[in-house]
Amino acid sequence: MGGPVSFRTKVLLSITTTVVISVWIVASVVSTLVTNSFERQDSQRTAALVSQFRSEFDRRSAEVARRVDAIANSETVQRLALNLGTSKIDTAQYYDAAQAVAKEQSLNFLELAGSDGSIISSAEWPARFGYKETWLLQPIDWKTQGVFLQREELADGPALGLMTVRMLNAGDGLLYVAGGQRLDKAFLDSLPPAPGMNIRLVRDFDAPASSDDPASKLAAALIQNVRQRPRELSFTGSDVTLTAIPLLGRDKQLLAILMVENSRAELANLKTYIQGTAWIVGSAGVMLGLGFSFWAASRVTRPVRELASTVRDVAGGNWDARAPVESTDEVGQLAEDFNRMTEQLVEQRDRMIQAERVAAWRELARRLAHELKNPLFPLQITIENLQRARQASPEQFDEVFRESTTTLLAELDNLKTIVGRFSDFAKMPAPHLETVDLNQVVHEVVKLFDPQIEAPDRPRIQKILQLADNLSPVAADPEQLRRALRNLVLNALDAMPKGGTLTLRTQRLDGPAERKVALEVSDTGEGLTPEECARLFTPYYTTKQHGTGLGLAIVQSVVSDHKGAITVRSEPGKGATFRIELKS
Amino acid sequence: MRLRAWAWLALSSVWAASLPGAIRPRYGGTLTVELSTGTLDPASPQGHLSAAIAETLVRVNARGIVEPQLALIWQHEPDFKRWRFSLRPKVNFHDGEPLSAASAAPALLTALKKKYSDATITAGGQTLIIQFERAMPELLAELTRPETAIVRKTDTNPVIGTGPFRLVAWEPGRRLSLTAFEDYWGGRPFLDSVVITLGAGPARADVFDIPFGSTRRVVPENTRIWASRPRELIALLAANPQSTLLQALSLAIDRTPIVNVLTQRRGEAAFGVLPQWLSGYAFLFQTAPDIARARQLISQLRLPAISLTYPAYDSFARAVADRIALNARDAGITIQPTTNSGGSLTLVRWPLESADAAAELIRLLGFLGAGERAASIDPSKPETLFEAERALLDDHRLIPLIYLPELYGLGPRVHNSEAAQKRDPFRLNLENLWVDP
Repeated sequence: MGGPVSFRTKVLLSITTTVVISVWIVASVVSTLVTNSFERQDSQRTAALVSQFRSEFDRRSAEVARRVDAIANSETVQRLALNLGTSKIDTAQYYDAAQAVAKEQSLNFLELAGSDGSIISSAEWPARFGYKETWLLQPIDWKTQGVFLQREELADGPALGLMTVRMLNAGDGLLYVAGGQRLDKAFLDSLPPAPGMNIRLVRDFDAPASSDDPASKLAAALIQNVRQRPRELSFTGSDVTLTAIPLLGRDKQLLAILMVENSRAELANLKTYIQGTAWIVGSAGVMLGLGFSFWAASRVTRPVRELASTVRDVAGGNWDARAPVESTDEVGQLAEDFNRMTEQLVEQRDRMIQAERVAAWRELARRLAHELKNPLFPLQITIENLQRARQASPEQFDEVFRESTTTLLAELDNLKTIVGRFSDFAKMPAPHLETVDLNQVVHEVVKLFDPQIEAPDRPRIQKILQLADNLSPVAADPEQLRRALRNLVLNALDAMPKGGTLTLRTQRLDGPAERKVALEVSDTGEGLTPEECARLFTPYYTTKQHGTGLGLAIVQSVVSDHKGAITVRSEPGKGATFRIELKS
Repeated sequence: MRLRAWAWLALSSVWAASLPGAIRPRYGGTLTVELSTGTLDPASPQGHLSAAIAETLVRVNARGIVEPQLALIWQHEPDFKRWRFSLRPKVNFHDGEPLSAASAAPALLTALKKKYSDATITAGGQTLIIQFERAMPELLAELTRPETAIVRKTDTNPVIGTGPFRLVAWEPGRRLSLTAFEDYWGGRPFLDSVVITLGAGPARADVFDIPFGSTRRVVPENTRIWASRPRELIALLAANPQSTLLQALSLAIDRTPIVNVLTQRRGEAAFGVLPQWLSGYAFLFQTAPDIARARQLISQLRLPAISLTYPAYDSFARAVADRIALNARDAGITIQPTTNSGGSLTLVRWPLESADAAAELIRLLGFLGAGERAASIDPSKPETLFEAERALLDDHRLIPLIYLPELYGLGPRVHNSEAAQKRDPFRLNLENLWVDP
């Protein structure tokens, strides 16, 4: 799938990776430091606010105590106590007294109640006159109780108050004065939180959390946690840090939770900024890497790619190709060396071609001399016999002449055959391509050799056909293909004078770019040495005693004309396998 | 003997001179009256003390019986369509013009036409003949209302009546000055003059009103309270009939604390529409609060919060609404008092204007849009009145709460309020008051 990774890509990847990792590390470190710093600061601010709340709580407690004392000592309340003690007065006339007195003392809560806890007057809920405040009747020493948190029921719902109670003697009975200030938003507003902080009182512990607000869910979880075990507790979410401080009542019951919210928006913004900066720096780094890779390509990889292209040209047979030398650095040196090497190779090749030509001519001459010498020698002998017969026994001359001419004609035919064979090789026709079923060609060729293979006077040859069923047809000249295959089968049979196994095998080769078919002809003969394999397809080269050395040359010529390839693999004593690959 | 007689006479004189002023009416002096709300418009029938200037043909006495005032005698046809009134002789208006049928008719006809378009008046001498196209058995009750007072007006005087006091000066919204009408047919009043101010504070006034819910509930020492007969019904009115809910709410409401505390025992618990003195059977509707029963009634209901509208700027109404919400809460009913209109419940203040039970009930039925029930009422048969009122209460659309009187504080200078109460139990009658110097 992936080809070789180019140098430019490597440079780009290296720079990008380096930049990205560096930026990520720096961003992570900065982000972590900033987060720690913010959390430390949040913690300090929360502690300061809670401390401020407690101070204000204590201050207001003292204030409430002072104001309730003032009310208890006021003329109105003292007169009420006196009247309650001295006669059966109608307390109805005092039913709105608490409102006025509470207003004077800036108290939100004030209830005046009789000995049985019945409310005579209520400032916070005037309509409750006559109702009983049973909690006042608990056996508590209100003098030492001090100021406490109390949940007060109001017309518009429960409220939280800083309360204290005073008892006045009213004859044989008592007059309870329960007063206090509301602990509400106004109270909290007196504690100006730092920017990004919010403080609120939670009294409804069962309020449902907003399903799409993570902070609301976090707060709900925190509330339930504190509700189960009242203590100061903090939860940190993505957007906010929540700290819950339980506010307990007189008998340690949880009345409310002071919820301090520290927004992490600033931190989130800073993190976003750091991330954005990291992205920008990283992107710049990548862009820089891209630019550098292009620069490196122009400086390094382009000469290398040109050199590689030149190499491919040379490998493709263009021996005139030369790599441009544009610098004096290593790449330029390499290009010069390559050009020099190519020139040397060209020179060596020319010399080799020339030597091979000479060798071929010599081989041709040797072969021609060898081929022609055999028929020529009988011709010479026959002609000399004719001359001797003419001179020595003219009476037998006619008979000798008849026999000699027969021999001469036979040898001349032989010469003619030899010349024709050479002539055939010299003028191999261009293939006439058509769709060919290779398996059928194999069957046809093998059939031609069946008499020879199955001849009783020959050593036994076992014939094995391993033909692929799914073979694609090939575009080929069927006659030339049969001819090449005939030569290969003939060579194989010749290689097994003592018998053996002839195997013909076809195979479908499906590559990513193209489809091919393969044809293999194997024998179990003596095999070939590597040197013989190397020269096997050289014209006029033969390992056979009576071969012309043209058979495999013709095979190679046919395969080459069909844009195919032929290879041989063999080891001495293990037979040989010729493999032809053709495009299908 | 003669000396002894003279000595006894002298001792008697000294003793008589030493008697407290309360038992010896004193002529003269100015009565200062301070009002906190309302109007000083002397021509307005809603003026607190309008009866001091203008009088009606008839009035209701302390026993609830209609008695003569400007009319001495009256008769009606059997079908109650034609009424004949003979006016009191030797009665003058404040400008000296004698009262006659002709001078009385215009104001009376105008007042009657506002409610009864078929009313016609024929005036002749001292006789007024009032005729309707339909039976008007409640005419006498109608003629006790201040709206039907006999008045005249000129360009310079907006109200010229026949009452014991005449208008001297009027500063709208601030002060109204009256002076004794020397020619009053009932005899010159004790007071020389009356000065009525609005919103100045009761500190130095001889008489001041005490609206319910005001800070004047605890009155200064040496102040006597003058209370009228019930003049107002405070009730809950439901926008839609919800029988079970309203029945439960009615059972949840404890009227006694409201009367004892919020009205300082000056109101009366109302279980019916008409007060006892007017109907005579109101005690039959009396019930005790029953929270358990109320809870049982609504146990099967799914109740939303109910809004209770009360009049804005009415602190007494708000206190009553808050108490009702509290009572309702005990029964498991959530009521939210509000001044916004359109509540499911409304706290209404229904003025009790008429001395005639049937007329009052018919008027209320008309207001509630239940006029068809009024047809079953026969004024001569109290049982029809009772049935109609019981049916109205059984609807649970109206829940009576309390009756309220008009309250006035009387300073130590003021005397003879008891006589004023006897003469007119509904309004403070200045005619009978006198003051110390």
